[in-house]
Amino acid sequence: MRTFSLFFFLGLNALTHVYALWPQPKNLETGDIFIKLSPNFDIKFESDGIAEAPSDLIGAIGRTKQHLFEDRHRRLNEKRGECDLEVLQDATSISLLKLSVTKSSIEPIAVEAVKAISTRTEEYSLTLPADGSAATIVAESSLGLLRGLTTFEQLWYWLEEGQNGIVYSHQAPVVITNDKPSFPYRGLLLDTSRNFFPVKDILRTLDTMSMVKMTILHWHVVDSQSFPLEIPGYEEIAKKGAYSLEQRYTTDDVQHIVKYAAERGVDILMEIDTPGHTDSMSGAHPEHIACSKAQPWHDYAAQPPAGQLRISSQKTREWVADLFRNIAQTLPSTMFHTGGDEINMRCYLDDPQSREELAKEGFPVNDAGLNLALDQFTKVTHDALRQVKKTPVVWQEIALEHWLEHLGNDTIVTIWTNSDKAVHAINQGFRVVHAPSNYFYLDCGQGGWLGDWPNGNSWCDPFKTWQRALIFDPLEAIKPHQAHLVLGGQQMLWAEQTTPENMDPVIWPRAAASAEVFWSGALKGSDRTLLTALPRMHDLRFRMVQRGVKAITIQPYWCALHPGGCDA
Amino acid sequence: MRSFSVFPAFLLFLGPCVVALWPLPTQISTGTTALRLSADLQISLDGVRNAPADLRDAVARTRDFLRRDKLQLLVPDRGASLKSRITSAPLLRSLRVTLTGTEPTRPIAEEAIAAIETRQEGYTLNVPADGSAATLTATSTLGLFRGLTTFSQLWYDLDGDTYTVQAPFAITDAPKYVYRGFMLDTSRNYFPVADLKRTLDAMSWVKINTLHWHIVDSHSFPLVVPGFEHLSRLGAYNAASVYTVADVRELVQYAAVRGIDILVEVDTPGHTSVLHKAHPEHIACFEASPWTRYANEPPAGQLRLAAPATINFTASLLTSVAGLFPSKFFSTGGDEINVNCYQDDPATQAELQKQGKNLEQALDTFTQVTHKALQDIGKTTVVWEEMVLNHPVTLSNNTVAMVWISSANAQAVARRGHRLIHAASDFFYLDCGGGGWVGNHVTGNSWCDPFKTWQKAYSFNPTANLSPTEARLVLGGQQLLWAEQSGPSNLDNIVWPRAAASAEVFWSGPGGDGQAALSRLHDLAYRFVKRGVRAIPLQPEWCALRPGACDLNA
Repeated sequence: MRTFSLFFFLGLNALTHVYALWPQPKNLETGDIFIKLSPNFDIKFESDGIAEAPSDLIGAIGRTKQHLFEDRHRRLNEKRGECDLEVLQDATSISLLKLSVTKSSIEPIAVEAVKAISTRTEEYSLTLPADGSAATIVAESSLGLLRGLTTFEQLWYWLEEGQNGIVYSHQAPVVITNDKPSFPYRGLLLDTSRNFFPVKDILRTLDTMSMVKMTILHWHVVDSQSFPLEIPGYEEIAKKGAYSLEQRYTTDDVQHIVKYAAERGVDILMEIDTPGHTDSMSGAHPEHIACSKAQPWHDYAAQPPAGQLRISSQKTREWVADLFRNIAQTLPSTMFHTGGDEINMRCYLDDPQSREELAKEGFPVNDAGLNLALDQFTKVTHDALRQVKKTPVVWQEIALEHWLEHLGNDTIVTIWTNSDKAVHAINQGFRVVHAPSNYFYLDCGQGGWLGDWPNGNSWCDPFKTWQRALIFDPLEAIKPHQAHLVLGGQQMLWAEQTTPENMDPVIWPRAAASAEVFWSGALKGSDRTLLTALPRMHDLRFRMVQRGVKAITIQPYWCALHPGGCDA
Repeated sequence: MRSFSVFPAFLLFLGPCVVALWPLPTQISTGTTALRLSADLQISLDGVRNAPADLRDAVARTRDFLRRDKLQLLVPDRGASLKSRITSAPLLRSLRVTLTGTEPTRPIAEEAIAAIETRQEGYTLNVPADGSAATLTATSTLGLFRGLTTFSQLWYDLDGDTYTVQAPFAITDAPKYVYRGFMLDTSRNYFPVADLKRTLDAMSWVKINTLHWHIVDSHSFPLVVPGFEHLSRLGAYNAASVYTVADVRELVQYAAVRGIDILVEVDTPGHTSVLHKAHPEHIACFEASPWTRYANEPPAGQLRLAAPATINFTASLLTSVAGLFPSKFFSTGGDEINVNCYQDDPATQAELQKQGKNLEQALDTFTQVTHKALQDIGKTTVVWEEMVLNHPVTLSNNTVAMVWISSANAQAVARRGHRLIHAASDFFYLDCGGGGWVGNHVTGNSWCDPFKTWQKAYSFNPTANLSPTEARLVLGGQQLLWAEQSGPSNLDNIVWPRAAASAEVFWSGPGGDGQAALSRLHDLAYRFVKRGVRAIPLQPEWCALRPGACDLNA
């Protein structure tokens, strides 16, 4: 056995032998022996002192077996692996993968996946012997076993032969020792308000996220354009604010999504963006919304339609607090995102009711007074979340721009406008999630979408390529003693120009880039390079397509078949 | 203190809806009366002598769309408030189709591929408001087909009723430009026949009449050419990623009955690296490194244009390909010829020396021989603009040039007296803005950044800077999909509804009202999705339901 080192791959011909794992595991050693998967291949959970595996682990095992035999993914070289057929004639077969945990008890994946973000255990070790003896995955938790299974699935290729073809690996033995993520938060944001995405599209996206070991779906479920979420006790908002009754997530839908996600190691971080981005509440509750659909919209909002919750109204604060409690307590996550981006002050200053309420509270009727009102709004709504044991998450403005006296230290801050803002939030002691538009916005580069604007361009042009995302350094400019405040990061899909018709190609495989950054660590200073990542990215993309995900092609097929042939 | 009022916006919502036809007919009048379509609508071809099968099929497809589109009106309540008007509206029970003139009736498929300047696509469509028979009249079956396409876009669905609230309609329509195209590259990545058919369907819905099929390139050679089968056997990505002779025949027919001519391109002498697999003797600088010296993108490789054997090979290859496509047009490419490739190729240098020619003279011979072979079998040659502007080659006067590098080059092409097709990267390239695709190039960006929005394409003026004489040389134009980063996964997304923008510019003429066009284009995109084409949303649905509300200055 030789030690796997990415160093070798700087030589071009070695590139074709790279193991197409994504994200790249830590401590990976491989050999060069071909091994086949027996048609009777089975996966068994056997662990001392544990009578049976949790049912969601059994489900994960079933999916892995299905992927192993149904991916039918051929190696990406000029003959698509055909040359392997000869050596496979004499190759040994493996018929068993044994899973075990190092503890005497095990919890369901769905329980592990939604624990407090920094307390999850995703570590696993994996062996694939070359002699046909059983492969193993050992972990501390069912969540770790799931991550190991996900890696195991990516070790295999397929060739047409006989009735069902041959499933094989070309680099046994494989030893992965203590692979674990560098950051616990590895997410994807999906906006389901600008345009609606049916449940099945969200489920498919969760499957794909799980394939690259993502842990968080940041679900930007509602916004000013539509309110597709049914909230217990607040059903009227969606009735009036969803595009239609069919374009709405019922309570059952949400529970189904949350459970489906958790079983796949994904925690749903739901966001109800407040106080801005809320005009879709005005249909049912005009009393809570200032500057609803005011024109010209660009004086009152970052995009049409304008409309914000009246932060100076104590009634509105309490109404929102109760709404948060009602929805948050139905969700298993320990986090809840309250938004807080792009608050437009003029919206309030031109709203007679807000002015009156500010004066009544003794706040000045200006930006400073509004910040005081926002402080109250944030305190009341966040405290409500803490009552139901949720940690509030906010967009960066809440921490950086409004001087909020009562913002809790426990608050997690999502950085979005620019990557250089992270350090500011960290210096204030907040935990941060990297989601900067200059690296991670998947919607950039599609042109402007406002009407009557022939020369309009994407506000965050140019397009953010997967390479751009992959070079992101999570700890850049952050002092070592503050590194623990970086929870991780995510790529994001704002859906102004996206529906189910194009969501897969816009998201995949690009969003896998940050999944690797936050699992394997920054590219800079690692033995990974863009050059070695490219063929792995191709491999991942083709495997996604085999699984029914319409991932976009990132180069001409010729390039995928000729590693290194299309480099700059 | 300003007061907020949504009143202006509501005015927009309730005002007369824009007729959601795309492209907008050149003459149209509409009313405000509700009219329902009878479930057993008769589309009568009694007024067409010897109605050809492809016209009957077109009628059947029209009926299917009327039945299945089920597109709701794009307003906040999706038409619910119109319920009582609709249920009490008269029923339209028949559409009478009449072919006028004394010429013998020809199939659509024949008219669609006739010489481009002779085609007749005009039609007259009248839909009375009282339920009496609608009429569609044209002087050609192709015109009748265009009229049926328009008729199928007039209707909306509410709870199973197919209706309009804008009867009566009186439409007299004909295109401003004869060439309205779409270009697809099937070499960088392969597209199965099913994807091409779906694309042809979508093209026909917006009255596009030409598929410019950039079928082969340096990356792969998916076309099975009679007598040259080894080219695709060795040069296709794999045995399944080919277009067989039967596939091509089927696609040509599928296109023609939908009013679409297929203009095939075999790009020469550049963009031919893949031919090396079967014919190393014909290719210079094969996969030469660094590719940046030898080609605009990897892999490098160009036909040895000076070698008589290569010229003959090319001429007979083009002739054989041309035999598969009945179109009068054939494109021989001619873009991005790389000089270093030939300079560093000993075989080419020896050949030039032997013949006492320089490279441009050799290109002239290459072009004359290959073009003559095509002209001898009745084809009109089409070339990329460099063949007119950058190389002093002899071209026949009727050669058509495609302007791609910059729309500003149209004037220079016209000044040389060539007919031209607008295909400019600064307006019409659908792939721009997708980021750089070359590996290991972290700051790499799309070479033709930014993204070309539908609005950008829609703002195109085909005769900008052209004199009236030069303007007459403009045949039309097209949007283009180069497929470095496209495959079946995103084909519909990247093409639709954007490529409809040029379809309207070249049908209805330039200068359309972009603001009003947006709501019609939303309608088209939603209708495409209903018909199984994965068109993207141009805006949040909230905007699609409220015309004007998401304009820059709303």
